Amino acid sequence: MTLFLKPRTIATAARILVIDDGITMRLFYRTVLEAAGFVVEEATNGLEGYEKVLARPFDLLIVDINMPKMDGLSMLRAIRRDGATMGVPAVTISTESKDSDTLKAYQAGANYYLVKPVTPETLVEVAHLMAGVPA
Amino acid sequence: MTTPLLVRFVSEARDLLQAAATCLLRLEKSPDDEAAINEVFRAVHTLKGSVGLFDFPAFTKLVHAGEDLLSAVRAGQLALSSELVDLLLDALDQVSAWVDSIDAIGALPDGADGVSRDITARLRTALPQDLEAGAAVVPLRAEILSSIEWLPAVPAAERLAALRAALSGADILALEYLPAEDCFFSGEDPAALFRQVPGLLALAMEPRRDWPAAEALDPYCCLLRFRALTTASRAEIEHLFRYVIEQVALTAVAPHLLAVAETGLSPAVASILDGQRVILELPAGDDLPSRLTSVARTVENVLHAAGQETTDWREAVRATETSGDTAPLLAVLARLLDARPEVKVDAAAKGLAAAEGSVLSSPDLRHASRVLKVDQAKIDSLMNLIGELVVSKNSLPFLARRAEEVYGSREMSREIKDLFAVVDRLAQEMQAAIMAVRMLPVSEVFERFPRLVRDIARKLGKRIDLVIEGEDTAADKTIVEMLGDPLLHIIRNALDHGIETPDEREAQGKPVEARVLLKAFQEGDQVVIEVSDDGRGIDPVKIRAAAVAKGVIDAERAAGLTDQDAVNLVFLPGFSTAGQVSDLSGRGVGMDVVVSTVEKANGSVSLSSVKGEGTTVRLSLPLSMAVTRVMMVEAGGGMLFGIPMDHIAETVRIPRDSIRHIKQSEAFVLRDTIVPLLRLDTLLGLERNVWFGDPTEEDAVLVVRIGNTLTGLVVDHFREGMDIILKPFDGILAGLPNYSGTALLGDGRVLLVLNLKELL
Repeated sequence: MTLFLKPRTIATAARILVIDDGITMRLFYRTVLEAAGFVVEEATNGLEGYEKVLARPFDLLIVDINMPKMDGLSMLRAIRRDGATMGVPAVTISTESKDSDTLKAYQAGANYYLVKPVTPETLVEVAHLMAGVPA
Repeated sequence: MTTPLLVRFVSEARDLLQAAATCLLRLEKSPDDEAAINEVFRAVHTLKGSVGLFDFPAFTKLVHAGEDLLSAVRAGQLALSSELVDLLLDALDQVSAWVDSIDAIGALPDGADGVSRDITARLRTALPQDLEAGAAVVPLRAEILSSIEWLPAVPAAERLAALRAALSGADILALEYLPAEDCFFSGEDPAALFRQVPGLLALAMEPRRDWPAAEALDPYCCLLRFRALTTASRAEIEHLFRYVIEQVALTAVAPHLLAVAETGLSPAVASILDGQRVILELPAGDDLPSRLTSVARTVENVLHAAGQETTDWREAVRATETSGDTAPLLAVLARLLDARPEVKVDAAAKGLAAAEGSVLSSPDLRHASRVLKVDQAKIDSLMNLIGELVVSKNSLPFLARRAEEVYGSREMSREIKDLFAVVDRLAQEMQAAIMAVRMLPVSEVFERFPRLVRDIARKLGKRIDLVIEGEDTAADKTIVEMLGDPLLHIIRNALDHGIETPDEREAQGKPVEARVLLKAFQEGDQVVIEVSDDGRGIDPVKIRAAAVAKGVIDAERAAGLTDQDAVNLVFLPGFSTAGQVSDLSGRGVGMDVVVSTVEKANGSVSLSSVKGEGTTVRLSLPLSMAVTRVMMVEAGGGMLFGIPMDHIAETVRIPRDSIRHIKQSEAFVLRDTIVPLLRLDTLLGLERNVWFGDPTEEDAVLVVRIGNTLTGLVVDHFREGMDIILKPFDGILAGLPNYSGTALLGDGRVLLVLNLKELL
């Protein structure tokens, strides 16, 4: 039996999962990140995000904190407990800007913390850096 | 005559004047309300700025004087007394009148100059003398750092350009300018200043501290910090910034400073790396492996993306893998971050979020400010167009039927029907959307009452606290707009007749300050407005006497009325017109006007009163009057008429021989009640159907309710009910009282909608 293997694309675009319950925020992330050449998938809450992360690998997670069903920090803790997914870089983006909030996010497994509102430039720069794709 | 700019000015001026008046009243109550004084000041200040675009010197002078006065109040140099509020309100009234005049004739009325001089002089005399001399409030000198520690933050490209200029012999100046927070009020334009700076190499306009939340953001307060590199000479800069020189720091930049900063990491890279350092230093439990994995991957990604060497890092990761000790990782991070030790994780994160780009480019704020001011007429015409669309789409089913019956194409018919379903849905959504646009908060009308109540109360020598609740309740604009006059009547009545004088109140053991509650809320598809007071209430005995005296009802009937019914006598037209009722301890002025206005909008009025405790008037109005539901009936041999559903109590069929004849008129018995019977044909002067005397034949009778009376209306046939957009008659036809208007039917016919109140 012969298998026809598709040649792998050389430069695969980095895949980003955006987990945010706000439809406007998701659209903002998608528009900005797709324009910068990323492949963007969305999840509307932590549970959905967790399921998507388990289903296939991502290069970066952009995580809202306050969400229904499962909040962003609980989702990160779950993801970090799983051997296959525990290393994926994650940025939380939230309106809370206190140092204690940042530390809480780091403790839950975030690698970086941005405060809303985030400008498109910042978002793209951080995405490039954390997903390891030179701009 | 009127330009779009002038039109915009008139509408803005009205808003500003209203805002100023509202805040002044708030201030009078609580003189320490800093937000209120700032808002009044801002409103008047903005008005001054706008009117300056036009040639209305009288207007400008008056507003200017008002601004000076408010400025003194704001600075705490002048206490805001009731007299001062009166003075300012008078000035605002005058300005309002001028705005009306500008709106009507595009100019100020004759004699405006004299009026302006008078009021301006009065305002000026209220000013403390030293202020009048024009001593300006000197802004505090802003704190200026003369160091240039911000140099590394200048983008590499611009820093390189500066370096090139420096190496070719130019002197580079670093310029930091912290404008005073109130600089916009002293006519400064910091951004424009920088546009004039010669030889500008780099310019960063940044917030000097974190932007406040959008709702707390004060757009008139300058929070910016300007940092620039320029080849201009010190003298040039000092001349350019001569008026604000104390807010400017100038430092000569040595070329090596420009070069040194270049090898450092970008702020974002440094900030992310520092984040990883913080994460590694956190006390760890069993989550250490996952933490190490994600940090290892993140740092590697960041270094890779930033074009930095990753070998050191990889080695450190391998070392940590075998030893489980994070020290090698931290060492590498420390070495990388050493170039920029001042970067703190939270500061950098916040800086990234807030400082990059102006705040206006952030999506949240851009969204918040997107409010359109649209001429009402445009919305109205949009509404009419959608109304016509709703109607014309109704012709598609007719077309479908024709396609099948006349042209024999069932296929075509089905396609048309499918299309109809789509158009129908879209039309309905459009209609709902435009109705939402037309919804206004009742605060539009409520706003003027604090002022009114204050003025009347002062005139009557009464003390009244007006409490407004639910001013956010929204209703269609036609409803909100018609509310003004009835509410004015009701509130005036309450103040004039309902509320006792302070002495009387004290004698009765009531609080001296009376309370009037103006409350709006939504109840089902109705918006309810209640005006209640804690005054003396209505005395049914006196009302009965007055009604009899005015000949509204006879003494016998008056005696038979319950107290509640007696109180409701004030709604009768004859009750309030003649003689005036101010000697009466209740209400009555123009209550019939209130009722008729509210009923015109399909609303209702009710009143309840307890003697000695107060009165509540309640207006219930539909949320929207754009769509009317009517029942179609046939009369006059095939002519269609619409009857508003609100009036229809029921439909019955009665055998012709059970109709009673009383003298000339007819009546029938409906569940033990005798209901007068009228024939629509006769009422409209149409030809009557001939009856050949078959007693089993039945008449179709529509039982309608006007006020509290039932009437039977004989029609030829009942037809279906439908939603229509009622178009009132205009022109010469508007004089026809029997019809409230027309509506277009799906098949192109015109439906006449009856005005039953006039007809019966």
